[in-house]
Formats: sequence, structure tokens, C-alpha cells
Amino acid sequence: MPEGQFCNKRPVNTDEELKALLGDTGGQKYYQEMKALEVDTALLWSTIQKTMKSRIKTWLSICAHCGMCADSCFIYRVSNRNPKQVPAYKIQSTLGEIVRRKGKVDNAFMHMAMETAWAKCTCCNRCGMYCPHGIDMGVMFGYLRGLLYQQGFVPWEMKIGAGMHRVYRAQMDVPNEEFVDTFQWMVEENQEEYPRLEVPVDKEGADILYTVNAREVKHYPEDLAEAAILFHIAGEDWTVTSEGWELTSLAMFAGDWEACKMQVTSVYGAMERLKPKRMVGTECGHAHRATVVEGPYWAGRKDGQTPVPSIHYVEWLAEALRTGKLKIDPEKRIKVPVTIQDSCNYIRNHGLKEVTREIISYIVEPGYFRDMSPNREHNYCCGGGGGFNGIGLYRRQRNEALKTKRDQILATGAELVLAPCHNCWDAIRDLIEEYEVPVKWSFLKPLILKMAVVPEHLKPRE
Amino acid sequence: MFKNILFATSATEASDHAARVAFNLARQYGAAVTVFHVLGVPTRGYSQVVVDVRTKESVQVDDEYRAWVVEEIKNQHGGEMKKAPQAVVEVCVGYPHREILRAVREKKPDLVVMGGTTGGDSVYKKALAGTTLQKVAKAAPCPVLAVAREAASFWGGFSSIVFGADFSKASDAAFDFSLKMAREAQCELHLFHAVDVGATLMGKIMDQDTIEGQIRESLNRIRGRYVAKMGDFKNYTMEVWEGIPSIEIVKFARERNADLIVMAHHARQADLEDSPMGSTMEQVIMRAGCPVISVNRLPKA
Ligand code: SF4
Ligand code: SF4
Repeated sequence: MPEGQFCNKRPVNTDEELKALLGDTGGQKYYQEMKALEVDTALLWSTIQKTMKSRIKTWLSICAHCGMCADSCFIYRVSNRNPKQVPAYKIQSTLGEIVRRKGKVDNAFMHMAMETAWAKCTCCNRCGMYCPHGIDMGVMFGYLRGLLYQQGFVPWEMKIGAGMHRVYRAQMDVPNEEFVDTFQWMVEENQEEYPRLEVPVDKEGADILYTVNAREVKHYPEDLAEAAILFHIAGEDWTVTSEGWELTSLAMFAGDWEACKMQVTSVYGAMERLKPKRMVGTECGHAHRATVVEGPYWAGRKDGQTPVPSIHYVEWLAEALRTGKLKIDPEKRIKVPVTIQDSCNYIRNHGLKEVTREIISYIVEPGYFRDMSPNREHNYCCGGGGGFNGIGLYRRQRNEALKTKRDQILATGAELVLAPCHNCWDAIRDLIEEYEVPVKWSFLKPLILKMAVVPEHLKPRE
Repeated sequence: MFKNILFATSATEASDHAARVAFNLARQYGAAVTVFHVLGVPTRGYSQVVVDVRTKESVQVDDEYRAWVVEEIKNQHGGEMKKAPQAVVEVCVGYPHREILRAVREKKPDLVVMGGTTGGDSVYKKALAGTTLQKVAKAAPCPVLAVAREAASFWGGFSSIVFGADFSKASDAAFDFSLKMAREAQCELHLFHAVDVGATLMGKIMDQDTIEGQIRESLNRIRGRYVAKMGDFKNYTMEVWEGIPSIEIVKFARERNADLIVMAHHARQADLEDSPMGSTMEQVIMRAGCPVISVNRLPKA
């Protein structure tokens, strides 16, 4: 049985298939079937010939095996410096080997490659900064994931996640109507406190188009309310779109390139339709990378840019605080030791380190901020990036990987961790639970909301 | 009065007293009941793993698991459920307060019944400020009834209702509801207010003259704001005491043999976290010898 019912080379394209796959609790049957899944070696090799860019080819061949990348990798460090966890080794023994063998690899090899690609690398790109040749294993693992996905060797949750984007253009089964309705619900729920609060849907030519993470809609819509309230008190002209509202991309984690393109195209479509001055995305790191940094290439946009200028939530927040659109009550600034998790995806890979520091300067009482060590672009991955958080099969490895962040946080002595990224937020939540770390953690929105000054004219009249 | 009750249960003993109230009310008023349980928080990002609130174990939620939880609920509340044979049980995954509010929005019950705050929702407490009860009570469009103690269970009809007034807009809605209940049950209604001389004044000590002045003023406000709206309803008393409101109202309710306390609960979301002891309403629920209903808004026309 080379192709299984659940585990096969076909992407999930319909709601029925999605439900069926979800019905296979924990992916038990899925992984069972994977053991018999055949490798289409011809397809593998022809794909490599067609899609492997010269940069990756060069990287694979120029690696000097000097090992300078070893200590840069947090997973290497938490696994007792196991030589098999050296970034160069990890990629050479997988992608490098597939290329050397011209795609002639077997099922057992693909299983090993899958574990390496999803449980030994979070695509945090830290190693790339330390290699003297600038060789970036994160980028190469991203590419390898695409090859593995095409062959059906992909963790169960990742296949589901990519399927969600294909079916719903969102990472969870949230239909467009539910998105709009939930946003409206949240606004209604807060109209007593903020009487003229509203959520403009599909407004053309607004200053800001706001995009979100489907999990906010599904599980903590308070986040939508907070975003609406902060735009409201900042006096912004903003809107959301009834289609193409999802910023994230589990398809990117899964290596499903086709779904990556489908997803960002839907968001770009909204930008083109509504012509906002710019797009602001929620507090999510990988989503920013997907839609703002990599998306334009997936979508084949020649200029490498999104249709309208697109910024991360922290950029909007820093600007709103800087220009005085949002004012912080100095009495309410954070007065406990506090640190911030620098997300790989928009700090290391998109240079926003000073933006978050600027926000801190407005919201934390001087003397209370404690940077992690290392920090900014040198910060370690939260431990759950690249899809690691969501994969049941690799839970044990993920929990091990969380130790780096745990120790970094503990060393700061902070009581509160700012985590303006969904993945980091999840990882920190899990490490607090797993290792019983006595700290609190939070997105920025709820904290800002507690300390922002509400202009008199927006307050309810009792 | 009540035709459609949503009973949000923790599916543990902590909700047993609330179950008794929910089903006694259902029998009394011939109401339909939905027994609603949020079985766990989705954890680990987009994984399918859920931490079950009762067992604290990480589980993969599928149809089989849901069916098992439904059975567990029927075991837990089986005795009470016999009083309303058509009651349906629903379970779902999510943050409890949010899913309860989502169900309220869909099913439009005229009353939500919940147990008191227990250690049981510690799984969520870490992530979110305030308790499930606070959040539901704050945002629900309909009255929310909470019962924490066995002594607070409701056994039959209503004979004495205490309305805890705080002169806010939300409190007006709570008053309207109290009056409607009292008219319907043809029972006594006690309008009560406590002048806060306690902790919230941060140590400022009021002299006796000021206190008495405030008591007089509060009585006038009760007359102007509430009594004026009562029309021909005469079976009422009004009283203003001084002290810590949550304690005074419980003492007063005992004195009047109240079988229901009605009050508004309208703390700002942002304030919830800053009151480690919970809101006045929660303090009342913890201590009261009868169910407490929180009402914050008039039913939508
Ligand atoms: S540092 Fe660069 S050249 Fe050296 S082993 Fe690592 S990837 Fe290869
Ligand atoms: S990208 Fe990050 S996790 Fe992956 S090998 Fe490099 S340092 Fe390690």
C-alpha cells in the first residue's frame, strides 16, 4: 500500500478530507500509513532540478564543516552538544544527502529527514548569522520541508494546517462570515465602555487594513476587541476585510508552497480591492514573515513588495505612542521586572529590534526592563517556532527545546514576559506550565489597553 | 420568567449546587435547559491537544472523547437532570468564559446558571485575568445566576428578594429585573445599599456625620431612582447600612431570609486583575446563603 488513505502525496483540498484527517485522532493511522509510503524518487529529483536555487546549491557545496555554526543553534545546546545536532550536519545529512544521491532515498531516510526538518530545526535562522559564509540552515530546512511535503512525509498537524489554508484561507476552520461576525460581536461586547466603538468592514481607502490570526477569532476574540479599542482610542481610520483577513501561514511551516501562495494571494487581493494606505498585522511573527517578507515572492510579485506597505503590530504601536495618538498614563506603566521575547521572524529576520525597545521606553517604568541574554537579533528561538509547538509527535523534543528560553527568562529575574508573537506566546505559556516557571506572560495589546489614556470624548456618559 | 436556561457546569462537584438550582428553576418555570460544559483549553498552538479541565490531562479531543465527557456529565448531574428530562448536554473546546458567552449569543437563554469560582479553573487563570464567572457576568446580555454553597441552593419559590443597589446604569437593569421577579413571585423586595467605609477608601476614615449624611442621601437616591418606578408595587422595604458592601449585603440578606440576591456586576475588564479577592459580586456569592443573580443590562428590545 504505497499511498495511504490519510498519508499520501495529495494535499488536503476539501472540508470533507480535512474532517476525515482530523478524525484520525493524533494521526495514529496517518503515521502508520507513512511507514509504507513510497518515495517517488524521480519526482524528488526533478523537483530539485527545477526548484533548487543556486544559493542553496552553493551553500551545500561550500560548507567547510568548520562547526562554527554549532553553538549558535539552541537545539544543539540543549541536547548536550550532540554532534548530530550541529546545523551543518543536520542539513548535510538530509538535504545534502538527497542531492548527492540524486533523489534516490528510501522511506526510512524520509522518516529521518522529516524528524530532522521539523524536530531539530525551527527555521530560526540564527545559525546563518554565525556561519562565516553566511550559510543559513533555516532557509535550507524551509526548502527541504517543501520536498518532504510533496512526498507526503510531513507531520500530521502540518498537513492539517496547510489543508486549512487551502480550504478556508485561514489556519483554522473559520469561515469568512464567522470572522466578520466575531469581530462585530466583540465590538458590541465593548460598546458600553466605548460607546462609538465599531469595526468597519470592507471600507475602501482606509488608512489601515487590519489582519489577524484565525486563532484569535476562534479561541480568544478578546484580542480582536483589544485591537479595535486601541485603533478607536488612537483615532485611526481602519478597516477589516471580509475576505483575505488571515495573516498567518501554517502552509509555510508545512512546506506546502502552493498553499502558501493561495494564502497570501487572498490577502493581497483584499489589499488591491480595498486600497488601504497600509496594512497592519496582529502580534504574530511567522505571519509577518509569511505575508510581508516572503509572500511577495510566493505570489510572484516582481518588486518583492506587498501591494500596499505592510507593517507589524509593534511598528504601528511604536508609531502611535511616538506621535501621541496613544498616550500612556505614567502612573500605570509596568512596575515589575519585565523582559521581552524577541521573535526570530520579525526581529532577527526583519530588523524590528529598536521598535520594540521604543515601545518599552513608553510603557515600562525606567529601571524595570531586563533584556534577555543574548537578545535582539541574537536572541534564541522561543523553542516552539517553525511549527514545533503544534506537532504532537515531537512534543518531547519540543519540551526539551523550551529549556533554552526558560533559562534565559529565569536569568533575567523578570516577573513578566512580553511576547508579541503568537508562537512565542504559546511556547512561553507551555514552558511556564511544563517547568512551573513563576512568571506571567502577555501580548502587548491587553497591557497597553490597561495603561492607555482614553480621550474624554470617547468615554461613556453615565 | 425563565423559559430557556443555560447551565454552565464545570462537570465537577463544584457545580452540584448550581445544578440543583438550575433544575429546580427549570421545573418551577417549565424552562428548557442546556447543560453546557467547556471541557478544556486548546493548548500547544494549532495542535489538537486539549488539557481537560477536570482530569488536567492532555487529551486528543475527538467524537469518542466528547461522548465520554457527555456521559460523565450525565453521571455527575444525573439526579438533578431527571427534573427536566428534555435537557440537552453540550460540550466544546475553548476558553470557558468565551465559549459560554458564544453559546449565550447563539441560544439566547433568559438565564445563565453557574457554580461559584473554584480552584478548578486554575488552568485558565494563568492565561487570563479574572475568573470565568466574572467575565461571563460582565459581558452576558442576560442575567447570570451563581451558586457557590450548598446552603445557597434554591429549593422552591421565591419569598424574599434583596436588590443590592449601587446607583449605576447597570444597577438600573438589575433593579428592573428584581421588580419583575418580585411581581411575578408576589414576594417581598428589599432595596438595599451599603455606604462603603471599607478598604476601597484606602484608609480614609469617615466621621460619623459624613456617614450619616451619606446614608440619608442614599435613601433619597433609592426613593428617586427606584421606588419612583415601582408603581402599585407596595411589598417592599428599603435600607442603607454602612460597612464593606459585600459583607453588609450578605448580612442583610440573612436578616431578611432572602432566597435571592440581585445585583449588578460591572467592573471594568482592566480592573479585574487588580482585585485579587475578586469583585464584590464574587465575595457575595462566596458568602451568601442564597443564589445571587447578576444583571448588567436591560434585555434588548
Ligand atoms: S559554520 Fe557554516 S561553513 Fe562552518 S560548518 Fe556551519 S554551515 Fe558549514
Ligand atoms: S535555523 Fe535555528 S534551529 Fe535551525 S539549525 Fe539553524 S540555529 Fe538551529
